[in-house]
Amino acid sequence: MQRVATVAGEPTAPMFHRFRSAAGEHLLIVPYSRVFDLSPELARSIDGGGSDRDALVARLAQPSPGEVALDDAVAPAPQSISLNVSSSCNLSCSYCYAARGGFEGAQAEPMRWPTARAAIDALLARADPAAPITVGFLGGEPFANRALMHACVHYAQQDAVRRGLDVRFSVTTNGTLLRGDDIALLRAHRFAVTISIDGGAAVQDRQRPRAGKTAAGSFDRLKRAVSPLLADPGMAQIAARATVTRNDFDLTRRFADILALGFAEAGFAPLRMDKGGGDALREDDWSAYFDALKEVARGEIARAQCGAAIRLSNLAIALRQIARGASSPYPCGAGGGYFSVAADGRWYACHRTIGDRDFALGDNGGLDGERRHAFLTGRHVHAQAACRTCWARYLCSGACHQEATTRAESSCGFIRGWLEFCFTAYCELSARPHATSHEGLEATVP
Amino acid sequence: MSKPEDTKLIARNAPALRKLAEKNPVPRLVAGNSVSTRLESGIGNCFPGLECDLRNLERRFFPFLEMDMPDTEIALVAVDIDGVVAARKAGEIDQATLDGYMTLHTAGKWVVETMTGMFGPLGRLTLTIADLDAPSSGAGRQPPDPWTAVRLLTEGTDVRLVLQRKPASSGQKVTLTAKRARYLGDDGALAAMFLPGELTQSLCSPWTHDFRDCACYYWASNHPDIALPPLPEKPTDDPKWNLAVPWERRDRTIGDKPPAPATLRDPTPVELRYFEINHRWQSLNFVLERREQIGPYQQQEFAGKPLASKGALVAQLRYAAGVELAVMQEYLSAMYSLKSEEDLSGATRDDVRAAHAEIKRIAIGEMRHLRAVNNVLASLLGRPAYKPALGVATKIPGARPGQLVDVEPRPLTKDALKNFIMIEAPSKSVDGVYANILATLNQGYPDSDIQAIRTVMAEGEDHYRTFLFIQEWLKPYLDEPRKYLRAGSLEAPPAGNQEHQELQAQYLKLLDLLYTGYNLGMPEGAASLNEARNAMIEDQDSIATAAERVAAKGYLVVFDAPADPRFKPVPPP
Repeated sequence: MQRVATVAGEPTAPMFHRFRSAAGEHLLIVPYSRVFDLSPELARSIDGGGSDRDALVARLAQPSPGEVALDDAVAPAPQSISLNVSSSCNLSCSYCYAARGGFEGAQAEPMRWPTARAAIDALLARADPAAPITVGFLGGEPFANRALMHACVHYAQQDAVRRGLDVRFSVTTNGTLLRGDDIALLRAHRFAVTISIDGGAAVQDRQRPRAGKTAAGSFDRLKRAVSPLLADPGMAQIAARATVTRNDFDLTRRFADILALGFAEAGFAPLRMDKGGGDALREDDWSAYFDALKEVARGEIARAQCGAAIRLSNLAIALRQIARGASSPYPCGAGGGYFSVAADGRWYACHRTIGDRDFALGDNGGLDGERRHAFLTGRHVHAQAACRTCWARYLCSGACHQEATTRAESSCGFIRGWLEFCFTAYCELSARPHATSHEGLEATVP
Repeated sequence: MSKPEDTKLIARNAPALRKLAEKNPVPRLVAGNSVSTRLESGIGNCFPGLECDLRNLERRFFPFLEMDMPDTEIALVAVDIDGVVAARKAGEIDQATLDGYMTLHTAGKWVVETMTGMFGPLGRLTLTIADLDAPSSGAGRQPPDPWTAVRLLTEGTDVRLVLQRKPASSGQKVTLTAKRARYLGDDGALAAMFLPGELTQSLCSPWTHDFRDCACYYWASNHPDIALPPLPEKPTDDPKWNLAVPWERRDRTIGDKPPAPATLRDPTPVELRYFEINHRWQSLNFVLERREQIGPYQQQEFAGKPLASKGALVAQLRYAAGVELAVMQEYLSAMYSLKSEEDLSGATRDDVRAAHAEIKRIAIGEMRHLRAVNNVLASLLGRPAYKPALGVATKIPGARPGQLVDVEPRPLTKDALKNFIMIEAPSKSVDGVYANILATLNQGYPDSDIQAIRTVMAEGEDHYRTFLFIQEWLKPYLDEPRKYLRAGSLEAPPAGNQEHQELQAQYLKLLDLLYTGYNLGMPEGAASLNEARNAMIEDQDSIATAAERVAAKGYLVVFDAPADPRFKPVPPP
């Protein structure tokens, strides 16, 4: 992993965050996301700004052996790519970031085999063999170009075996085009399958209509197509992902409707960027969304206290990340370990930015080191004026690069509120007598 | 919040567990340097005092900045940004100064363009660092190089730096003004800004070609030139094993006979040659307690027990000061009982002269301990609550645990020497007094106080070994005292003896000066302490000359307990 720059943090930024739960008083050390329980006496001393507080916090914030400096902008070997195999979609969702795969004209044609193969070759040649690699499929609707997708999976699998690499796959699909041979492909490989579904029939049909002259819903077709896969996923991991617009915050109902189809878990993503439909969340929508998300989460926490699995992806992932101490100056792998390949073979930092020159970092022939370094340095959370003094800076890390322009006090307030909610839940769920070790802690977090 | 990491922080997730699982999860910053990195712990013995590179002090002449000073520039290495932020929070610097430091911290290479300040005898100047080539003598002279310029800056006076970002075409400049930093703290310890090892970082390493010649005429050194040889497997009483040998000797064999001593006048070079040291530096032995060690080293067990309260700690420290004074008086009585050089000849004169010099060195050491103990008391109590501890102990610890014996001025007889060895032996007697003090201080008292007491204990070990050597040197004469002790009664002088009275007056004057100096602390008390030092060892009108006159009359040098209540004798607590 190559360090390309050091981006100094703000020296006056908060180094700790205090919170309490039903289990007592807690301290989050911001760098490296260390969570401690505090005695009431120490909690009072810290809240009162005791003389040793800053020194104690500063020492706890020092990296432990094996932890990397959070000031570093690093350029790891690319380990994951997504191939934008399709430039079209059979649905016509008003909020689609990809404009149904065409990216406002930036991707007019579907990807061709030579381009896809060159991208896979480039990934396999550059990857660090010690870590797994992932080939993802996006679009448009990836199964609209199923022949290419099948070819890519077989090719990558065979070539990875030949090179001794551990290859995995991912796909984000609307699920409506799945056929028997597609399901067989997903079952036979280690696929992370994300199915875009916004809720029950009413919501799904309204938000995710089929394309075409006559308006028609997609719920029934989706239900029919995915049910065999949900009944027998094989090696695939299936999750549902629902987009939340400002038109409907009844998440409890939508969560139940999605799970009723047979999904083991589902997660929500609020719509931040308006594509002309006027349905992105606005300044005063965030508190209602937060309340709705908490309502779903509380139901899952109650289930977890009885020993059942947490089915809300947003919460389950957050709890796992807190347990292992996720802490990064970047919100995702974009431009670092992850790239998205457009149909024309250009490599972009992320699949949401196809066609955006600011995010173009190379092509199948190689990465533009200078542009990549500039991107990684510029996107480091220490370089974000609004983020570098936030206590959540190594957890949220500035959130989605492409959506950064939509960042507002209310949406940031939601993220901090949600994180604090998850920290509290974590401490309450892991406050069991046997939770004395790292393993013990993780074991209590489904 | 003294030890929160032990008792009050409970890890909740993996990175928190990782932090607390570290050997020292919340490392303590040791104020000043630990006992093993102090200059007085240096291991060089032919050129003592050269175990550090004093130029490293100037690296931190300007608050919060660390600078390198090669021949032609003063280049910024690092900014202590945490210190800057803390100073801003405390209101010690203004926002503009904080901004200046932040600019320096952010990026790039910075050098000092001009420096304005009080350059000692050269007066107030503004120097352009790149242009320092004016004559360094005569009228209008300037420092010859950047380091000398910085060295000349008067401590505590304002210094203004204009720093320029490289390359000069960047046009970026930062101006900072601050007092030239103090290199020592109030207690004489190196300022906390110096990290352990920082002053020795530029010394030669053993694997360098010319390591052997690192000495005062060449380069500061941090290696012993001579050491006691490794002891043979079979225990031996042969004093030849107590003769120092060249540490870098070529012949590395260890046999039944010790290597040739360092004083051997043999034309054959006994030390490793330059080219040999590149290959054989690994064969140089570790030296602990002056002796080369080739087997596992076992540390003595530390037997101290914490005292019950701060009051008990203070009482024990006052008593410790009294014990230092008491044993110092015993050593001086013994030292002045030795015959003067004029009355001796040949080997006896050399042996007695060496014993005399070493006892004097030990007595001076006890006075340093007295000062160290008083510094710790002042640190614990603060001024003006602190009152100097200058009363002599009424009784001192004996050989057996808990035993207390009278202070007994006496000539340096065979029995007296044995007694002195016992007094200074590790973990016994005087050392035992400090063990409980150290155990108490270790429970969260300031590190500088802990290090001060550790130094006192470490020097006690040196005194013990020195008395063992004195016993060895005087061995041929110990059964015939007239050969090395002065003639006369060697008893306390009779009442009214004039020389004795003069000695007591000198002694009282000394105590008075020490009281004033200790009471004021540093730097206010420096003049009194200097005067006190002179009152002990000057060639005229000093305790040394007064004691010599008492001894010349054949009497024992003794010190009476003064009537002054400030110097009231101290009973054991």
